[in-house]
Amino acid sequence: MTMLRKTQHFGLLIFFLSQKASLETVDRHFESKVDLLLNVETENPKCFAEGMRDLTCFWEDEDGGSADQYSFTYTYENEKSSECKVTSQPAEGAKTRYFCHLPKVQHFGDLYLRVFRDGLQIYNRSLLINLLFWLDPPANLTVTQTGKLGQLKVTWLPPPLKYMENSMMYEVRYTAGSTWKEKVVRESTEITLQGLQVNTKYKVQVRVKPDGLTYDGFWSSWTLPVSMTTAPKDVDPLILALCLIITFVLVLLSLTALVSHRSSLQKKMWPLIPSPENKFPGLFTVYGGDFQEWLGHSGGGLRPSPAFFFFEELPAMLEVLSEATPVPPRSVESRACNLPESGCKENEEDLQNAESGQEGWQPTPPAHWLMKHFQTLQQGPSPFSWSTQLESKDSYVTLDHSFQPKPQETPMDDISEESAPLRVLFTSAEISASHSDLGSLPQSSRSGRLSSESSLEYPHSIWPPKGISYASLTLADSGVSVDYSPMNSIRTAAGGIGGFYNNDYKNEIPKPNEPLSGCPIYSAC
Amino acid sequence: MRITTWGLVTVLLMVLDWTRPGSPSALRPICDPLVLDRFIQESRDIELAMGTCRDRCRLSESLTVPRTSVDFAAWERKDVREQTQEVQEGLRLLGQAIERVKASVSDTALIGLLDSSYDNIHSIKQVIRSLDMQDWSPSSRTWDTWTVSSMPELFRVHTNFLRGKVHLLLSRAPACRQENH
Repeated sequence: MTMLRKTQHFGLLIFFLSQKASLETVDRHFESKVDLLLNVETENPKCFAEGMRDLTCFWEDEDGGSADQYSFTYTYENEKSSECKVTSQPAEGAKTRYFCHLPKVQHFGDLYLRVFRDGLQIYNRSLLINLLFWLDPPANLTVTQTGKLGQLKVTWLPPPLKYMENSMMYEVRYTAGSTWKEKVVRESTEITLQGLQVNTKYKVQVRVKPDGLTYDGFWSSWTLPVSMTTAPKDVDPLILALCLIITFVLVLLSLTALVSHRSSLQKKMWPLIPSPENKFPGLFTVYGGDFQEWLGHSGGGLRPSPAFFFFEELPAMLEVLSEATPVPPRSVESRACNLPESGCKENEEDLQNAESGQEGWQPTPPAHWLMKHFQTLQQGPSPFSWSTQLESKDSYVTLDHSFQPKPQETPMDDISEESAPLRVLFTSAEISASHSDLGSLPQSSRSGRLSSESSLEYPHSIWPPKGISYASLTLADSGVSVDYSPMNSIRTAAGGIGGFYNNDYKNEIPKPNEPLSGCPIYSAC
Repeated sequence: MRITTWGLVTVLLMVLDWTRPGSPSALRPICDPLVLDRFIQESRDIELAMGTCRDRCRLSESLTVPRTSVDFAAWERKDVREQTQEVQEGLRLLGQAIERVKASVSDTALIGLLDSSYDNIHSIKQVIRSLDMQDWSPSSRTWDTWTVSSMPELFRVHTNFLRGKVHLLLSRAPACRQENH
């Protein structure tokens, strides 16, 4: 029993304390409204309604009087007037505030108020109570993150007034520290603040007021501020997922491309080292790279080309090969006789020598080989060097010191030997004149042109070599189409062989100052 | 004979359809509070337009208008039927008063305002009809009324009546509650 009583007393104590706390809160709100309304409302008495069933009117006076001096009457439409009890409250600056709480409240109808002091009316006012609401600030203000950058969601509870749910308007203000921003909200108790700074702490407050149509009044005081920090900048998971997917797809595509073009890429990055294995069958596989053994066993496996062994060393000097008579002695002699007397005699000796060497005269060697041979010679340092292989060949002209060119002949001393490895030396007009005996050979007496038709006879008859300044070799007409006219060859083939073959092959004695680089002169022999 | 019988049956069905009591309204319930808010705003604009008019807006006779003041406690003690009847009676009285004033006024501007006010009341009646509350016949009891003697007072009564009783009635209309729930 004692314990039960103690518990009851304790419960009552708690109840009273809570009531007192709520009253104190209400008083605090009331006091603030009174203070604010004194500055806002110009009419007297100043009145406001906090709910659906109350109305508070007050006025302030400095006379230091008491509540008994005042009387307050109110009259609704077409009703009798009623009196309200006046209470007083001291205020700052030796002022007194007088209050009247109306016991009966009717909305949507005119209310007439009158205040008397000592029987004299001091204030008179007509008002509609539904237009004088001064509500309490909204409760349960909540600020949360929305999950999106720069956003905060603000929610609150509406004033718990019946019939007024759809007649409220709210004002929300927020700040990050310096300036306040405000937004008005109608017919809703939540708002999403957008355009906020990321990762920033914001303070938010809300106040309420009737919308002014059916009900009207004053702005309530601001709620206590609620702080919330906006979400920090973070990678949107959707964007991250998309990036990963795109990266994966790109990697897959590149791998597919690599696999499909593997061979070509391999060739580019690791170029194949040419291996001579296909030329030496079995050298590496059977004999392990032992060339000696492979040679011994290969037999006819190796087929070197003639050029493989030839010209290992370019001969340095022109070798005078065995003399040969390229043409029948008679014809030679007849030609020789056509020569000038001075040259004729000398030529006779030479022709005899040539006859003796006629035995060594052999048929025209294969044209292809011969041409190739002399091409190689051209590239050599000395134009007059040739191999001993020429000894077996017959179509050549030997020029020795006894050969003396005609005066008319253009000297060729200053012609570079290297520039013209092979030349046909033209001596005189007689020589050229003798050409006509060979056949239909166009000639020019002075120019020293050499045109040949027959490859075999021609060169040997021409050259009674005496006092030669240089030696040159004429090639048999191997059928190779070459145009070795020096004028043309300068233009067409520098150092090379080019041109076309025709029977009217012509040669010209190059002029002394004329460059003769790479101008082999051929005469069809 | 057959044609005649069928004709009689058809006529009978038509008559029964006409006389059928309590036929539901074909109108869709208007439960949007913004609709009434718009009417209230119109009425307030007319009242403000009438504010400067004094002498030439004085009525030659007093007009009976409904009481607009509402005691919430007393209002909540009434049932929906009584509330509807009170609102309908008030709207009827207001309509009558506007028509009587319009007949005695020659100013075209005033006539225009009176026409707007009458259309406003007519629209409110349509809204009530949409909520299926129009067929309750008014009872014999006397309603709270009072008289006005000027047009500004008449329009003020009009506005306050819409703000008060009409607003309270429509905000708690059973048809709208059924839609919400």
